[in-house]
Amino acid sequence: MQLLVFLLRRLGWMLITVWVVFTLSFFLMRAIPGGPLNGERVLSESVRAQLEQRYNLDDPLFVQYTTHLWNTICFDFGPSYKLQDFTVNEVLAQGFPVSAALGILGMTFAILLGMTAGVVSAVRRTSIYDFSFMLLATLGIAIPSFVLASMAIVLFVFYFQIFPAAGWGELKQIVLPAMCLGAPFAGYIARLTRTGMLEILSNDFIRTAYAKGLSTQTVILRHALRGSILPVVSYLGPACAGILTGSLVLEKIFAIPGMGSHFIEAALQRDFTLGMGALLTYTVLLYVMNTLVDLSYCIIDPRVVLE
Amino acid sequence: MGTLPRADFVFNNGAEIKTMDPAVATGSPEGRVINALFEGLLRSMPAGEPDSLGRIPMKPVARGMADRFTVNAEGTVYRFHIREDARWTNGDPVTATDFAWSWMRFLHPETASEYNYQLFYVRGAEKFNTVQLAVGDKVEVELADRKTPELFPRGTIRRGILRELILPPKEGSEDTGHKETGSADAVEAISGKAIFVVEFQNESSNTPATETIAYAVSADGSLAGIDELKQSYTGDYSLSNIQPCKHVLYDFNEVGIRVISSQDLEVTLNSATAFFPELVAFYPLHPVHRRCVEQYGARRFTKAENIVTNGPFRLKERRIRDRVRLIKNEHYWNAAEVELESIDVMSIQSETTSLNMYLTGQLDWDTTPPNTMIPVLKKRNDFVSTPFLASYFYRVNTAKPPLNNPLVRRALNLAIDKLSIVDNVVKGGQTPANSFVPPGMIGYEGYQGSGYDVKLARQLLAEAGYPNGKGLPQIEILYNTADSHRDIAEVIQQDWKKNLGINVVLRNLEWGSFLDSLRMGDYMVARSGWIGDYPDPNTFLDMFVTGGPNNQTNWGNVKYDNNIEMAKSEADPATRMQLFVEAETILMEEQAILPIYFYVSKNMVRPRIQGFHANLQDVHPLHLIKIRREGSAVDNSISEDTN
Repeated sequence: MQLLVFLLRRLGWMLITVWVVFTLSFFLMRAIPGGPLNGERVLSESVRAQLEQRYNLDDPLFVQYTTHLWNTICFDFGPSYKLQDFTVNEVLAQGFPVSAALGILGMTFAILLGMTAGVVSAVRRTSIYDFSFMLLATLGIAIPSFVLASMAIVLFVFYFQIFPAAGWGELKQIVLPAMCLGAPFAGYIARLTRTGMLEILSNDFIRTAYAKGLSTQTVILRHALRGSILPVVSYLGPACAGILTGSLVLEKIFAIPGMGSHFIEAALQRDFTLGMGALLTYTVLLYVMNTLVDLSYCIIDPRVVLE
Repeated sequence: MGTLPRADFVFNNGAEIKTMDPAVATGSPEGRVINALFEGLLRSMPAGEPDSLGRIPMKPVARGMADRFTVNAEGTVYRFHIREDARWTNGDPVTATDFAWSWMRFLHPETASEYNYQLFYVRGAEKFNTVQLAVGDKVEVELADRKTPELFPRGTIRRGILRELILPPKEGSEDTGHKETGSADAVEAISGKAIFVVEFQNESSNTPATETIAYAVSADGSLAGIDELKQSYTGDYSLSNIQPCKHVLYDFNEVGIRVISSQDLEVTLNSATAFFPELVAFYPLHPVHRRCVEQYGARRFTKAENIVTNGPFRLKERRIRDRVRLIKNEHYWNAAEVELESIDVMSIQSETTSLNMYLTGQLDWDTTPPNTMIPVLKKRNDFVSTPFLASYFYRVNTAKPPLNNPLVRRALNLAIDKLSIVDNVVKGGQTPANSFVPPGMIGYEGYQGSGYDVKLARQLLAEAGYPNGKGLPQIEILYNTADSHRDIAEVIQQDWKKNLGINVVLRNLEWGSFLDSLRMGDYMVARSGWIGDYPDPNTFLDMFVTGGPNNQTNWGNVKYDNNIEMAKSEADPATRMQLFVEAETILMEEQAILPIYFYVSKNMVRPRIQGFHANLQDVHPLHLIKIRREGSAVDNSISEDTN
């Protein structure tokens, strides 16, 4: 019951957030110079008039706003202005799975690598492992993803020739971008895990566990790890946001046809409808991710109460 | 989405294509795809004698859907014969009716084709498109009974004669709105601001011989837009029962596109048009399959599962902003000569990424090597480059003082060291430009302007009343944000400062805003480029006629306009070219634009690819490409020196 109330309240706030994002971006898009019908070749008067009529661009702004809002409520984002063979829904349906695959893989990579490095660093504190892992983590956080991507391409594409340079369609094409995407998050997660782990390891119940004669492995994995990942979990919300926005640049470098590519192109080409569709998808996605993270708190730590 | 193995031939097409519908597409990436999927009556093929650079020119020849065509002695009537074995991918024969219908669709105002002016050389075509109707014209009325909101299939078409045209008074005129003659235009007609009184002949004998109905064009069936007009009408026709309709257009049967038989199409032009075959081979005039368009509508007919095409390849799959997968079309009349079984047309935005993919063997042809890499790539034997049909120039806003003075504009032009720009900035083998039309067009010896001449520039500036630049306001150069454009603008900024003592500021805008500023005339000097659609000076020069949509410089000259107009209907090639030379001379002497350089095409093509030839238009028909099986080793070194 408590859960249901929590979810309903979150849903309510999400709808308000989406509406505010919609309204702000609707008017911002139209406030900047340029429009979807501008191209290098100037349209003749009658062609422009026809296209304005087709896309309802000749209506007063408020009418455009209400029509677009109503269609959006019906989950119809309209036709894309610059990808004339597709509706925005079709573009998003093609782009979303690509970005999702990339994001999930990048996140998995970040969690696996980050937590392993964090646990090892904490357990072998002040060893050479600790030192080198934490140095790498700092580097991973400090280096922007596009620099990392360039280095990765030089190293793994041209020097060692293990991975293809770019593209989407084969499994091995996803590895480099996912790694570059996940690297800074792996760094953060490693540091968070290490801190959490160190704190837990100094607790009395850990000493008790050792005193019972349990192996180090069991103590770490069964008893210490569970408590030490709380900071990591709370970081997953912002991390999801970071993964989403981080993929904008990487998708361009690795020529990946995901949401990021569509979003950037839509903004540059003034494809209002596609830009709005991508933006709202991002909004909903972030909101859902944050809610899931909040939910997971109370599963991991029973002391947390939903409100 | 599943995985996809590599195609036989993979190339980067640059930008994502906007559409595969030939009628509304523009741009060269679209052209590459559409020319592979569809085929017009004629096809541009390498033909004839090599030019001075050893390039075989591309010429429109009857190796498309037509296997022969004839022109009458005046050059005004073309008759195309469609080959018997021309087939659509669904097995239907390609007929003259397909072309007539596709061209009607292309010209229909509601299609809103940007290239529709390409067919305005055909008799009556412009009138059909721009709805410039006058009383007494034969018209076709599309009734408001469409089955779908889409344009095709159209509602019922009735053909009659326009008896009266009632237009709103023009702004600022005393006109009451009632007009016996006069002419509507498309904007008025489509926005439902005009009333058309049309008389129809009744065929059955038991009704009156004629019937007269008043119509107003209305998108949604409401007639609110014409109430006022109706009130003020004082003429003889009854307007009590005005019918809404979708369109009142010039009767397409009056347009010079006539189906003689299923294999023969006759096209009548307004006057002899030398480059008409080029237009017929140009992709906007490629036919579409009527039933396919009518069944699925303008957007969905291009889906892989729906589309019906007639070119050497067919559409297998399209992944947005990733690739278009084409496979060989077995129904193509010349399928025996098409070697490639599959093609991946990639749309990779980043030039660097694209080059990486080429260097590591993922691409066979890279159309967009980055400018910064050209000096290195130029030394490789797989870099194919040749002068092509494009100009890089600066527009000058001739309405903004002091740029309204031609002397100042000429001084600005003479003070730019173009050779240095070409040699030290762009470095790709481009040639400095002292005229607008690129060299290489057959039969056209363009205007030869003078090059870098600081002394003359200073003298002209002094004549204009600004000795040593004194009293001359600051000049602003506008360019769209890109390193390559900034580098050139900086050199010109220094040249003008050093040579003429002019203070120059640079302003860059992102592409969308840049286009807006250009269109609004909100600039002083702006970077521009133009790629010719076909190898004829007209494709460059007709853009600077007074008030032309792409002029954007506020410049105009009556003699220039006359020459361009006369050249349209001049049958004698030599006289025609002379008219163009005179026009270009006017344009350059008044210096509405400052030419900078002529482009070169830049292509990286793997040596195992055959059938790829450098040419003036930088067009490379995909169905002529063949692959040499041996020697496919990947060469990814970029530092190799073969000098």
